[in-house]
Amino acid sequence: MVYVFDGTKNGFLTAFLAAYKDENALLTSKQTQLPLGERTLFIDTEPLRAEKAKNRLLCFDRDCMRDFDTLLRSGMDNNEQIAFRYFHTLTKEKRPIGKMLSNPDVFAAVECMRKVGFEVHRFHGFIRFMETASGALYAPFAPDNDICDLLAPHFRARLPQFPFVLHDTKRKKAAVYDGKNVFLAPLCDAEIMLSADENAWQALWKRYYAAVNIPSRERLRQMRGYMPARYWKFLPEKQDPPTDE
Amino acid sequence: MRYTIRMITEERLKILTESAKYDVSCSSSGSGRKNAGGMGNGYVAGCCHSFTPDGRCISLLKILLSNDCIYHCKYCPNRADADVPRASATPDEICQLVIDFYKRNYIEGLFLSSAVCKNPEYTMERLVLTVKKLRTEYHFHGYIHLKGIPYADERLMEEAAKYVDRMSYNIELPSEKSLKLLAPQKTKESLLLPMKELTVKKQQYAEERKKGQYKGYFLPAGQTTQMIVGASPEADGQILRLTQALYRSMDMKRVYYSSYVPVVQDSLLPDKPTGQLREHRLYQADWLLRFYGFSVEELVAEGENLSMEYDPKCAWALKNMHLFPVEINRAPLETLLRVPGIGAKNAYKILEARKYATLSFEDLTKMRVALKRAKHFITCNGKFFGAKNETQIRGFLAAAEQSDNAQQLDLFAQISSPQNALISLTGQL
Repeated sequence: MVYVFDGTKNGFLTAFLAAYKDENALLTSKQTQLPLGERTLFIDTEPLRAEKAKNRLLCFDRDCMRDFDTLLRSGMDNNEQIAFRYFHTLTKEKRPIGKMLSNPDVFAAVECMRKVGFEVHRFHGFIRFMETASGALYAPFAPDNDICDLLAPHFRARLPQFPFVLHDTKRKKAAVYDGKNVFLAPLCDAEIMLSADENAWQALWKRYYAAVNIPSRERLRQMRGYMPARYWKFLPEKQDPPTDE
Repeated sequence: MRYTIRMITEERLKILTESAKYDVSCSSSGSGRKNAGGMGNGYVAGCCHSFTPDGRCISLLKILLSNDCIYHCKYCPNRADADVPRASATPDEICQLVIDFYKRNYIEGLFLSSAVCKNPEYTMERLVLTVKKLRTEYHFHGYIHLKGIPYADERLMEEAAKYVDRMSYNIELPSEKSLKLLAPQKTKESLLLPMKELTVKKQQYAEERKKGQYKGYFLPAGQTTQMIVGASPEADGQILRLTQALYRSMDMKRVYYSSYVPVVQDSLLPDKPTGQLREHRLYQADWLLRFYGFSVEELVAEGENLSMEYDPKCAWALKNMHLFPVEINRAPLETLLRVPGIGAKNAYKILEARKYATLSFEDLTKMRVALKRAKHFITCNGKFFGAKNETQIRGFLAAAEQSDNAQQLDLFAQISSPQNALISLTGQL
């Protein structure tokens, strides 16, 4: 049976409670991907039942809600099913299972969480801020996973005096730091007035990027492995190289 | 807060970076410096901000204060008699560059070095002035790696160490004889002495800190060093003995090897670059020394080079076949770490997973433990899946090596690659 829920955490937990005895259950909120010929059940989110499911899971692993949060942030097509299988295993084992790696369901979940965590780490490096005319910093990016609010504390800790916007252009939302607090907001298109010096600093950065490379040791495959091309769109150094006039 | 713009020109940035780029180290790990007003903090695991087409990471802004040198080190593109464009930057230009690059998240901090201009004392003074300015006037708390200048006053060195996260004196060449020949103005003592002094000072300050008599930082990310491989005749065995001594007696965080690139012509220098494979092998052996519990004596004799055919762990295992195979479900961590093909990450994975269930060969495959090499050295629940005899094993290992080499090269050269950073994040090493 396919259990379709609304994509929220409570929706998942309600669906989990309905499905966890069904070995062949398939959980998803992505209606475009429904398999043909399967019976489908649309789950109405019920906060009380969700709470019940949550408490049950917490009995077995006090930290499992963190895993849950991470799994639902994943951009993988089947992340909700991976989360379901993971929690299904948890209710069977009745103890923390995060390191039970020879179990395929656990391994899949751990891999899925690792990818989310790895992308957060990557974007600590790959975020590129532009300085706007007001002095605030603006960084558009398109991550695989839903992580923009996870990045905010890192930048807030190192740039406490600069308001900034981490704009996930794919999900049309942003983590905003106003100089005091961080909050999430929907954001489609942002109109940005750059500061007077912004282009000159970008040009210097591109110049630096070109100069620090050792052309006789070209290893493009390695570069792409560390910094996949899908991330290049928002990196100034991967746009037109500087020219020697 | 706005500063008067002191923007360096693109042309000078280019010269000062191109002169600095052969320095291997770019790591930004090891410092947990806190933001104390102003901008920046440390990132213990290190962070890569970009990658260049040569596959190296950009973590720090790697730049010289000046490339105008009075020295004649034969291998160096900036040596006094070389015909290259010369440039210098002012401390304020460097500071402003760091601030504006850091603000945009281009870099994790600064790696500042300099050619020796006028004299060592003057050069070191300028370097210290720059990092001090950056910390106290520009209120920058991100990562700073400073290259020390040999022969400069000890007090300057000590002052620098209070402001920066890491310092390095390059050992340059693996023996005194080669140093004399290729870097006639540097002596082994002039390079080793500051390292020793910093090691001692760091301990002193740590104790004062404990007693509450010292509040600041002192080289939180320690020291590293670097040597050029292949410009002089030393064998890997000798190089790695030096490395091991540095790790053991100087508390070095990292020894870097830079394979020789002929940027200048000189009758004393080889005209061919050192193969990347040799550098790769040295890094592999270096990792075995630091994280896998090996000593150099087990790996290679003093006058010998590492095997090009097999990685150093495979080469060691082939010489010690009587120790294998080991049972994956029972072998202690130290033993698992010595199995060819099993890295630290996988050794820990196995250790954890076998608490829940006896692991079979298929289980290891499911956990994506690479078994191409390991299968010849392990049993899973008593069963062996490797080749029948040593000759066959050698054949399989050599084949595995060839198929990997194209992809694997330089995998170990950057400590702050995201993978390595993740390893340190999860505390697995």
